Amino acid sequence: MSEVSAKERETANVGAGLWKGLGMWAWLLFRISGLVLVGYLFVHIGVISLGRAGADKLDQMLDLFHNPVMVFLELMLVGAVLYHALNGVRIVLMDLGIGIRAHKTVFWACMAVAAATLVVFVWRAWPSIF
Amino acid sequence: MKDEVLARNEGGMWPWLTQRVTAVLVIVTIMIHLVLTHLFGSAPLTFADISDRLASGAVLVNDVVLLLAVLYHGLNGLRMVVLDWGLSGAGRRVFDAVLWIVGIVAATYGLWALWVWAS
Repeated sequence: MSEVSAKERETANVGAGLWKGLGMWAWLLFRISGLVLVGYLFVHIGVISLGRAGADKLDQMLDLFHNPVMVFLELMLVGAVLYHALNGVRIVLMDLGIGIRAHKTVFWACMAVAAATLVVFVWRAWPSIF
Repeated sequence: MKDEVLARNEGGMWPWLTQRVTAVLVIVTIMIHLVLTHLFGSAPLTFADISDRLASGAVLVNDVVLLLAVLYHGLNGLRMVVLDWGLSGAGRRVFDAVLWIVGIVAATYGLWALWVWAS
């Protein structure tokens, strides 16, 4: 991996500094999904903490999530987690010097894993949406 | 005043490294969390269902590790986004302090919330 130049590393990794192509979109979506997930994290902690007020209080709140629209949004959230996680795997691989010359292939392989995993969650959520 | 020794793409060496360590921790614990909650858990989700799951010490430990790792990872990621907008010097140090306080308060609050099922 020593023969890989700094420029190649930059090109492959997160599109850092190189504002073009697949790397740019991967990077942009990575940031957007990250920000959405941080926002959701705080909402999630807040909602779950209602358990402190009693089981009935939390269950009342959870009832608000038991409709097709909310289940669909939760599925989008799982999609955001999977995209962020698998693109993150790609970034760590690039940092380790693995697959830099084939970074687009690595990206699509990671996305295939993310999509396949999402399908399992969609399959489980389907009856709650339709 | 200490010099700014940032680099590792402008966030500093340690934040860069811990971001990757917590990334690995989060990937493992969040997948366990999501699979147990949404693939094997009840639908719709209830307090009692969460109780059943967290009765297992391993699941509780998983959620605690997830809480702490994801808070660090999320806030450190937010820091990276804000630093890319050009925050530096005293502003950056104040922002770092604010993030640490938010993180510690949220972690404490989250652990306190989980304690309902742990005790």
